[in-house]
Amino acid sequence: MIATILALAAITFSTRYLFLEKHLPLRLGPNLKRALSFSGPAVLSAITAPILLVHQGQLDLDPYSPYLWGGLAAVITARLSGNVYATMMAGGALFTVIELIT
Amino acid sequence: MTKHRSLALWRGTLDMLPLSLAVMPWGILFGSLAIQRGFSAWETQAISALVFGGAVQIVSIELLAQGTPLTAVLFSAFVISSRHFLYGLHLRERMASHPLRWRIGLGFLLTDELFALSGDRRAYRRHYRLWYALGAGGSFYLAWNLWTAIGIVGGATLPDLSQLGVEFAIAAIFIALVVPNLKDLASTTSVLVAAIVAVYLATTDSQIGLIIAASAGMAAGYAVQTLQGYRG
Repeated sequence: MIATILALAAITFSTRYLFLEKHLPLRLGPNLKRALSFSGPAVLSAITAPILLVHQGQLDLDPYSPYLWGGLAAVITARLSGNVYATMMAGGALFTVIELIT
Repeated sequence: MTKHRSLALWRGTLDMLPLSLAVMPWGILFGSLAIQRGFSAWETQAISALVFGGAVQIVSIELLAQGTPLTAVLFSAFVISSRHFLYGLHLRERMASHPLRWRIGLGFLLTDELFALSGDRRAYRRHYRLWYALGAGGSFYLAWNLWTAIGIVGGATLPDLSQLGVEFAIAAIFIALVVPNLKDLASTTSVLVAAIVAVYLATTDSQIGLIIAASAGMAAGYAVQTLQGYRG
């Protein structure tokens, strides 16, 4: 089992480290660099949207979905306040309330 | 200098704190699930200490417990981890000039959560920013391993936490990190396209969906910026 764990560790580490290796013969062109400047928000959005909208492998737009309304409250609070804790509180509160009453 | 360092470590730890707390249910879930699937306490802790990934750990123990061939387990781990290539590519220029120990250390700690805190244009450039990232990534590592240990101790006595909507906390934090920075049409389009493609691919149950959706979002942002007459 320890060999399996080490193999898994080697895979996750190498995907994280590979492009930080300076001897890797790779120069990023200006176009790729410009596209990569969008990578942060794009990845986070690609992680977040399915958490809110896909459940049991199905698109979930149920009007009583706590994820839908909690997510919306989080987006609005983030837009208005820009504060992580305020966003968590507003989204989490609405999420919990709807989860409890439905 | 030492004071400078500890301040940076501390700032990183504090900025990561919401995420360190938000993954508590996940870490506990992983620890208890692994015990329930027949892994020993040491093996379970070693997975969190060495593999240090969320989805990849949970999927891997499920596959291993089902007796899936090792090559298939490793391939699935590679597919789930492939999004990290984007992080390395994005940070390559800033990190390349730093000493090996920094690149290995921060490379090991480069999770979604640490990348989520790497949006500042000064990130990783100067010494202060490296210590800041070490504080953020290192504290997240300790938290993840602590939550795993709690899950191991709780083991089979814990309820199935995956039913409690625990992912919502992480979603809310990511929203808080992304939305305030959407200041122009290109970045907004990029985020919307990534979200739509990710939702579509999630309904088709493909593990590779995340990196495809992120790439589509990046291409969309790039295209809008170009149409608006951006000159590098």
